[in-house]
Amino acid sequence: MNSSMPDSSTILRETWSNGTTLLAYPNPTSPAVYFTGYIQPGAIEDADELHGLASFTTDMLMTGTKRLNFQHLHEKIESIGASLSLGTGHLSTTFSGQCLREDLETVWNLLVEVIQQPAFAEKQFKRVRNQILTGIAIQNQDTGAVASQAFNRALYGSHPYSHPEIGYAQSVSGLRLEQLESFHAAHYGPNGLVLAVCGGIAPVMAREIFSRTIGSWQTNTQSPPRTLPPFTPPESSIRSHVALQEKNQSDLVIGVPAPKTLSRDYEVCSIGNSILGKYGMMGRIGKAVREKAGLAYEVSSHLGAGIGPTAWKIVAGVNPDNLEKAISLLKQEILRFYTEPVTQQELQDVKTQALGRLPLSIETNAGIASILVSIERYGYGLDHLRQLPAIIESVTAEEILAAAQRYWNVDKLVITSAGKALE
Amino acid sequence: MLKEIHTAPITSTWIWYGIGSRNELPGKTGLSHWVEHMQFKGTRKYTGDDIDNLVSRVGGYSNAFTSPDWTTYFETMPSAHLHATLELEADRMVNSLFDPLDVETERTVIISEREGSENYPEFRLDEAIQQRSFQAHPYRNEVLGSKEDLISISRDDLFQHYRNYYQPANAILCVAGDISPQALLEDIKVLFGGIPSAPLVRNIPSPETALNPGDQIELEGPGEAHYLEIAWRCPAGSDPDFFAYSIIESLLSGPSSLNMFGSGGISNRTSRLYQALVEEDYAASVFGDLSANIDPGVYKVFATIQPEGDPWAALKIIDDQIRKITSSELSLSEIERAIKQASALFAYGSDNITNQGFWMGYASSFADYQWVAEYLTRLGSVTPSQVLKVAQKYLQADQRVVGVYRAIKTQEGS
Repeated sequence: MNSSMPDSSTILRETWSNGTTLLAYPNPTSPAVYFTGYIQPGAIEDADELHGLASFTTDMLMTGTKRLNFQHLHEKIESIGASLSLGTGHLSTTFSGQCLREDLETVWNLLVEVIQQPAFAEKQFKRVRNQILTGIAIQNQDTGAVASQAFNRALYGSHPYSHPEIGYAQSVSGLRLEQLESFHAAHYGPNGLVLAVCGGIAPVMAREIFSRTIGSWQTNTQSPPRTLPPFTPPESSIRSHVALQEKNQSDLVIGVPAPKTLSRDYEVCSIGNSILGKYGMMGRIGKAVREKAGLAYEVSSHLGAGIGPTAWKIVAGVNPDNLEKAISLLKQEILRFYTEPVTQQELQDVKTQALGRLPLSIETNAGIASILVSIERYGYGLDHLRQLPAIIESVTAEEILAAAQRYWNVDKLVITSAGKALE
Repeated sequence: MLKEIHTAPITSTWIWYGIGSRNELPGKTGLSHWVEHMQFKGTRKYTGDDIDNLVSRVGGYSNAFTSPDWTTYFETMPSAHLHATLELEADRMVNSLFDPLDVETERTVIISEREGSENYPEFRLDEAIQQRSFQAHPYRNEVLGSKEDLISISRDDLFQHYRNYYQPANAILCVAGDISPQALLEDIKVLFGGIPSAPLVRNIPSPETALNPGDQIELEGPGEAHYLEIAWRCPAGSDPDFFAYSIIESLLSGPSSLNMFGSGGISNRTSRLYQALVEEDYAASVFGDLSANIDPGVYKVFATIQPEGDPWAALKIIDDQIRKITSSELSLSEIERAIKQASALFAYGSDNITNQGFWMGYASSFADYQWVAEYLTRLGSVTPSQVLKVAQKYLQADQRVVGVYRAIKTQEGS
């Protein structure tokens, strides 16, 4: 890998008349290529009572095309050691794959084929529905997933983000094949597709292949994406617990709405979040809950990123008998976080970590391709990686305190948990 | 072991100790894993915070893993800080404190780690299968240890374990990345050369080969999805049969990746078991697991069965596929396909310096580095008749353990 930072002089970025965008960066030493990106639509397109429609439609794409049945499609992918997968988020459908460099055109042709011409076979529809329902049944027994879904319900209220992209057993059971086909016809198309690629292929070569495959895809049936409705945060604290039988550990989520991703607050809070629950052995909360109290194996904080509303949350897995004690300790750390400035040593530590992590984040093809996608999605600009060190250096303890006070308040926390019934 | 790679200003340092749950005695299961946790708590020279800061402050990342066969620690760092990581590893090879207060805090952390795993039916089924797959060999024990042992193990037990097995004679140091080998060797000699080694006394278990004919386990608990797991004996990683077995695994349940760090894998939708089970609606998913170990271990197949499905019906389908693979030779093209997949997986992992460091020590734990270097060549030399012979040797219907977790639907709520 070239040790210099990818920037506007080395990243190829080009848009096509069909609304697609390619970002490419070379790694001449690699025999492989990794690509990732996104395409409309996302789960926010799901109408009421049809939760899971976008996700189900995506799952059907990899079950065969008008030309290739399931077996033939996957034989073409697996026999060359390639991978190709798609998944649905709230705002878009993401895809990723990798292959040896000589197979890139084959794999991109298949990507276009599965997106453009899915077969929607009845037999596969029933099979995939059963697989989704089994997945939902498994999630419903997973304390982490259940606590997380309860958190989303509580935080997002009537906003579409309160619903899981996969849907619910009841809504998925009621979906019909025609609804999936109609959804596909109305929402899938090249407009808005973004693909980033990194690996042992020259960017100009990637551009040629892209032109012949994804760049030449035309359709006139694609609807514009739904506008995201406004989000109104809860006005007071919410506490909920979901009881699950025979669980030896309870999972806990504590959080608040996060700052907008493309904002100064987000840059400041990213540094603050490292101090709160990421740096070293999971920051301050790791020290308090794991290292000192021995209450949890896993406890960490996460600052969500996205175009729509996101959450800033702490997650932990604790023994059911210690649940309230862990909540109390975490509340103490949250209070401290927005009432006292972080120390200069803490600030210096996370800054040097963030700066030192940059070369490691571009070590692999997948790492670079993922960064390129973020650059495009959030409009950071192609020189983002070069600008990051100055942004990191500029954050002060006072800014972190002021930002923390805007987002955290121990009297307005959303707290959810799942596990053994509360006494 | 040193591997010079100058594609990025990064180094990955790995130190491997030849101690894992394989060497633990009854009543003391989980010792190796607990010692691994204590190695982050501090020495006379470094506090726990110092250890954290040494890696984190420069943007590096580090972790440690305990397996049945080994315990390993790694740091991937900007190469300018390589010396500091070597100093740390040399120091904590002999100077860790094992403060009694830290031991007690870590006891509950590890019990919490175990309780988190116990939440999953798959973990409970797999632990039961593992116990049934070995009569006495410690591969039967969960690396985390049993809860009873985690409650009773003392600080002295831990410290003695550390004293016994953390020494140069039981360690392999591997560095991959942006290094100058000659200068680095000198540095390593200075830092590690003076650490004494004592005679190594450890429990070396007798390998087990046979499984109890027709052994079955049935568990049940709340939920909707059922699980089926089957274990067959597999050869040790150093056994020549292992390569033919890898071809069988690739064909039956999809290829395993030797990459430790997020380089992606290959789906298994054209594998024989996926086709027979998932495409025919007997299961929602299926995957396999074949690991290279010092002693013969087990090859496992896991299937998730839909709420209305029948795990025993899925077992019959698996048996049919096993009969096929033990009764007729594969085609050459099927072997070539498995090799192409293995080549691609290697290519995906090769851009990651951390993987490069991992491969050296991992292969050395049960064979030597040549095992990795020659992996693709040795796969390529496997013949259809060898595959058939290995399948017949290991995949007999009466030489397996079968486990079923049957879900019982319950009423639950908030």
